[in-house]
Amino acid sequence: MFLLGALSSVADAIGSGAGTGGLNLQLNAGAIAPEAAVLIALLTCLLVDLAGEKAASRWVPPICYAGLGSALVLLALQWNTPDLQPAFVGSFLADNLAIAFRAVVAASTLISLLLSWRYVEQSGTPVGEYAGILLAATLGAMFLCGATDLVTIFVSLETLSVSSYLLAGYMKRDARSSEAALKYLLVGSAAAAVFLYGASLLYGLTGGATGLDAVALALRTSASPVTALALVFVLATVAFKIAAVPFHQWTPDVYEGSPTPVVAFLSVGSKAAGFALALRILVGCFESFDAQWKLLFTVLAVLSMVLGNVVALAQTSMKRMLAYSSIGQAGFVMIGLVCGTEDGFAAMVLYMAAYLFMNLGAFACIILFSLRTGSDRIADYAGLYQKDPLITLGLSLCLLSLGGIPPMLGFFGKIYLFFAGWADHQYLLVVVGLVTSVVSIYYYISVIKMMVVKEPQEASDVVKAYPAINWSVAGLPALRTALVGCVIVTAVGGILSNPLFTWASQAVTGTPMLVQAIG
Amino acid sequence: MLSLLLLIPLVGALALALWPGNPSPGRMRTVALVVLGLQLIWSLLVLLRFDTGISGMQLQESFVWVGSIGLDYRLGVDGLSMPLVLINCALTLVSAICTRDINQRPRIYFALLLVISGAVNGAFLAENLLLFFLFYELELIPLWFLISIWGGANRAYAATKFLIFTAVSGMLILGAFLGLALLTGGVDFSLTPVTSERLAMGGQLVLLGALLVGFGIKVPLFPFHNWLPDAHTQASTPVSVLLAGVLLKLGTYGLLRFCMGLFPEAWALLAPGLAIWAAVSVLFGSLAAIAQQDMKRMVAYSSVGHMGYILLAAAAATPVALLGAVFQMVSHGLISALLFLLVGIVYRKTGTRDLSVLHGLLNPERGLPFTGTLMILGVMASAGMPGMAGFISEFMVFRGSITAFPLATLLSMVGSGLTAVYFLLLVNRAFFGRLAVTPATDAVEDGRLDVRLAAVAPRETIPAMGLAFAVVAIGLLPSGLGKLSEAASTSMAQLPALVAAMQLAALHPWGVG
Repeated sequence: MFLLGALSSVADAIGSGAGTGGLNLQLNAGAIAPEAAVLIALLTCLLVDLAGEKAASRWVPPICYAGLGSALVLLALQWNTPDLQPAFVGSFLADNLAIAFRAVVAASTLISLLLSWRYVEQSGTPVGEYAGILLAATLGAMFLCGATDLVTIFVSLETLSVSSYLLAGYMKRDARSSEAALKYLLVGSAAAAVFLYGASLLYGLTGGATGLDAVALALRTSASPVTALALVFVLATVAFKIAAVPFHQWTPDVYEGSPTPVVAFLSVGSKAAGFALALRILVGCFESFDAQWKLLFTVLAVLSMVLGNVVALAQTSMKRMLAYSSIGQAGFVMIGLVCGTEDGFAAMVLYMAAYLFMNLGAFACIILFSLRTGSDRIADYAGLYQKDPLITLGLSLCLLSLGGIPPMLGFFGKIYLFFAGWADHQYLLVVVGLVTSVVSIYYYISVIKMMVVKEPQEASDVVKAYPAINWSVAGLPALRTALVGCVIVTAVGGILSNPLFTWASQAVTGTPMLVQAIG
Repeated sequence: MLSLLLLIPLVGALALALWPGNPSPGRMRTVALVVLGLQLIWSLLVLLRFDTGISGMQLQESFVWVGSIGLDYRLGVDGLSMPLVLINCALTLVSAICTRDINQRPRIYFALLLVISGAVNGAFLAENLLLFFLFYELELIPLWFLISIWGGANRAYAATKFLIFTAVSGMLILGAFLGLALLTGGVDFSLTPVTSERLAMGGQLVLLGALLVGFGIKVPLFPFHNWLPDAHTQASTPVSVLLAGVLLKLGTYGLLRFCMGLFPEAWALLAPGLAIWAAVSVLFGSLAAIAQQDMKRMVAYSSVGHMGYILLAAAAATPVALLGAVFQMVSHGLISALLFLLVGIVYRKTGTRDLSVLHGLLNPERGLPFTGTLMILGVMASAGMPGMAGFISEFMVFRGSITAFPLATLLSMVGSGLTAVYFLLLVNRAFFGRLAVTPATDAVEDGRLDVRLAAVAPRETIPAMGLAFAVVAIGLLPSGLGKLSEAASTSMAQLPALVAAMQLAALHPWGVG
């Protein structure tokens, strides 16, 4: 009898929350329906994995597609909720910003998984486990995008991080992969500890509340030096997650050693979650320290753009080059963060969405290339156009888009960032952005030169011994779907980008916290 | 109507890229020729619809593309862009016609050629700054490919240099456009001239400076010309034709449309300095051309010189000078394309472009008599002989500028005289005298005196003949082109603010320069 009563009251709380009366705080569990879908897929994967390797490789992919696909659909249904209510007693908020970034995370996982099957199969590691860990990372990243409570933030941050360490070291037999995992673990734990310290300071400042609202309220009235310390600690964690210089040192090594599909996820999904965290904490809480954190982020952005793009010039490994380029790209996105205007935030969202497709498209191409040749060196791409036109075309278009060449999607994203920066008088950032864009064009085009311009007689040995193209291997059709899809969106998305701009701007206007900050 | 000028080549490029099977280079070329022919016919139809009486933009089309950043798809044509569009359509066709020996990767080659043609049309027709920038950048990568795949031995270096210079120019232009649209309050990427009420003079000068350097790289003007001789020497003949004839015009078009048109007040303030810059550029280009041994480099440096006239005319900004600038753009497009074509023929027949090696090519029996004749006509036109396009344009530029900037104009005239010097050197060394293809330092005297060059087939000279005909036709009957551009150039010169500011500047001590 008692159980029934409890159940009905829970159902009440889930349903509308009106029943809870005086407290006016509610469970509103519908807000995490997309995460629930991912979680169910995760559990099912683990269960299927018990049934043996064969059943796993047969059933895990469709389960993941179903889970992530329904998560994306559920996210689309949440879009523009008219009456926005916090969920789980104020520790999660499904505003448009959260939805946009969760969609980016879920889509990046979906695409990364499409890229993974063949890679995992070839390395001889269990598929179900891999998918389970990646989905756990996704879960953490998605919760992080909507978390509005210090404890929730920390828990989701750690879910993401711990799964990422596992993923980085997933190729157990490869020494470099283990090295990457160890490095990532050490630096990541330090960052987590720093965040925890910062969060504890904030907890003290509020006098015992962990909600970001309470933190914001407390910070508005307090100007003690402790606050500045908390700001620095929190900012360091965010910078670590988005790999901003000088918190980037882990990136190249981790990217080089980790399995490439994992790098694809880390460079997009994990980064998107980091930016969502930055927006939540810095814009939402540290409003009264606006000038300080914007100054710090300006420095970080300039350093990231300059160092990321300049060091990328000297790389000979494709993955390292993309690692440094992703540092530079994060620097561009930071321009939007520093602006703090509606256009700035919208440009961030738009660029992250564009980056999702162009970067994953590029990763799809280099994964396919390394599956076929086992090489990752840029010089080995010489003369590829003859042997593999699909990789050549796809990689060329994605790299041109990353370099901001019209009419690709990246051009529109970059223009929007510079536009927003200039409108907010961030001249230094925009000028550095323009100059480093030229630098980035140079190293992106060097790869294209390798592939397209080199004559057949100048082709690398790897390309000369290129295997015949064969799509009938298990896992490759999925990779091809992801590759072609990303490349098409990258190439055509720019010309048809008006809906994307509307979407990005709605992501900002449908987020009370950002609207208040713009205010 | 105007959109088709973009759509025809771009859809053509797509069709070429997706053409099923593995067609022969000849088939690819035919498709490209058909597409470019259609484009030319369509541009002539646009010309028929063009009303020479209207000074502003006409045949406009517009719709909002990306509203949030003020990017409108807005096209229009006026007396300044109409001739340039025609030149672009004609010269792309010419360069496709003279592409005969492309056997490797014809599919990409012709597709890129079509993309460039469409992008350049878009840049000339764009009425929105961001749209212009989009097309300006769009042409960059295809041209880089054209140089770096089908170029000479040192093509990688030249192509990269071209890429970096042009990318820097693009970034400067984007920065200036963003500044212009946003500093004046609101988001306005339309072609509205900025006044000092909307933006203080200091800001105007900074933005104009960025634009000047940006377009100065593209034109190119001394000291930003460094990429041009390398790009020309390494590019194949058709690409050189395109580069000199069409792509450099993007720079001069930008100077007139965006530097002068958007910042009339700051322009008037800087005009005396710009005139001197123009004269320096003219003199430098001409003197450097004299020193060249490679025929292609010589023609390339002559471009640097001849583009300086346009800056001079723009600085003077009188109606006659601006009309002269339009004429100079058209005639330089035709003449330099003609010269590059002929140098290309010489190179193909003799295997060298070195002036110390070539002698007496005009030999009627065993040389290249007809090519030589056309070359003499070309260099005469370039040096400004009356009766040809070069004379009309230079005369109008000098006539329009001399009252405003006597010193700079006189110096430019000296440069024009030097044109005759280096082109006479070229003709004298390579075409007159006894036929020989031998280095001057060759130990064996008259080692290859007994040469017999392969005859030039008529089809090889047909494009050059067409260009030569156009050069003479414009020289003899300049009124057609004049009527086309007069209304626009007069109205540009009469931008009210510009006139007022010019009067003010006349009192300025620099004004006597």
